[in-house]
Amino acid sequence: MAEKINVTLKVWRQNQGEEGEFKIYQAQDIDTEASFLEMMDIVNEGLTLSGIEPIAFEDDCREGICGCCGAVVNGKTHGSHERTTLCQLHMRKFKNNDQIVIEPFRAKPFQVLKDLIVDRSGLDAIICEGGYVDVKTGNAPEAATTPIKRALAEASMDAAQCIGCGACVAACPNGSAMLFTAAKVSQYALLPQGHPERAQRATNMVNKMDELGFGNCSNEYECAVACPKGIDVKNIARLNREFIKASLMSEK
Amino acid sequence: MNVKQTFFSSIGQKVVLATSGLIMFLLFLIPHMGGNILFLFGPDLFNSYAAHLHQLVPIVIGIEVLMLVSIIVHMEAATRVTLANWRARDKRHSLKSTPERSLAARLMPYSGGMIFLFIVKHLLDFTIAAPKEQIYLNGHVVNDVYGMVYAQFQHTGEVLFYLLFMVAVGFHLSHALQSTLQTYGLYIPRKGSKIKLISMLVAIGMAGTFAIIPIRAYLFY
Repeated sequence: MAEKINVTLKVWRQNQGEEGEFKIYQAQDIDTEASFLEMMDIVNEGLTLSGIEPIAFEDDCREGICGCCGAVVNGKTHGSHERTTLCQLHMRKFKNNDQIVIEPFRAKPFQVLKDLIVDRSGLDAIICEGGYVDVKTGNAPEAATTPIKRALAEASMDAAQCIGCGACVAACPNGSAMLFTAAKVSQYALLPQGHPERAQRATNMVNKMDELGFGNCSNEYECAVACPKGIDVKNIARLNREFIKASLMSEK
Repeated sequence: MNVKQTFFSSIGQKVVLATSGLIMFLLFLIPHMGGNILFLFGPDLFNSYAAHLHQLVPIVIGIEVLMLVSIIVHMEAATRVTLANWRARDKRHSLKSTPERSLAARLMPYSGGMIFLFIVKHLLDFTIAAPKEQIYLNGHVVNDVYGMVYAQFQHTGEVLFYLLFMVAVGFHLSHALQSTLQTYGLYIPRKGSKIKLISMLVAIGMAGTFAIIPIRAYLFY
């Protein structure tokens, strides 16, 4: 039998361009089997009925794979359940009469659009600088044309797990996007298909990251703890190598 | 090579920071510690070492210039990196769990600033101020550097000041050594890293070795 609990929410409310503040709301009779976002839905329904504007938050798949949702819950990005996104956090992780502090992912480039929704388009802008491979379109090539070592393919897939949620940026003491950028650079740097453009990819993506006002990596590894997909800091070491090599040996 | 990008991008600045720090560690801190150890073997050996150092003036001046350049470059890059990091965190979370970052990492800008102030004082104490006494050693007149160091550390305040200096150096090194390698692109894992452990042991060992002189001079006069 599922239990019902009452919790107090301390939620960041803010309209774009205005000063924000924490507001307190009660969440009554919440099923412990409910997910965190379902709890938020229930609270929002109550707020709507009593004429208060519902709390704005982002979500999409609610399966932990899209990277839309995310907030800092009681000081932890995506809440206390490791290796999952906020939508996969469940109310059984909380006790009756708990207070839950919910605030948006914060960093200079992540300006609050509304309540818990922040502008993460900076991450897209970094991708636009080289988070892809230029290939001629046409028929799919024969699969065995380009041999790839199994270990490298696996490492590439590990990096490619990044869903771009921005938790690493929020968790970083310096608001750095290094883990994100490192994952995006690594997934191609490890595969032969990514090699022709690897120098310009590392250079352009890092330069974009700097330009947007993300901080510097100080090798404190908070990002790797926060990452819902378990992206490892070995990718940051790889990005450093890629960038240093590209800087020292570029033709320009 | 693209100079602007190499030295002024986020990773480039960190490479500059790491390299200038590494130069100071390898060419200054380690030889300095080696010389200091001789203090434990009595006045003759230590004064003879100091006198020999004076005969190597061209090399010493060369290293001094290199140190000066390294300190300026290190502090300039550190200031830029730190200010950029603070700017990127304009609004803070009201609650923030930081399970991973070490105290040493958190204190880097502060331990660095302290070390700079200490270096200035250290130079005033032992380099700018000339030894008052001269003694005979094997038929030569040499400066009594040993006596000068001893005299300095008869004051409790001076000893405590220098010990605080060593704590700052220890903290700074324990993050700096492993962080330098990660910045160069060597992978330093989050958990169970031998390099992290070695980095901490070297930091404690070096700070401890430096701290022996004031402690010994103070306690065993």
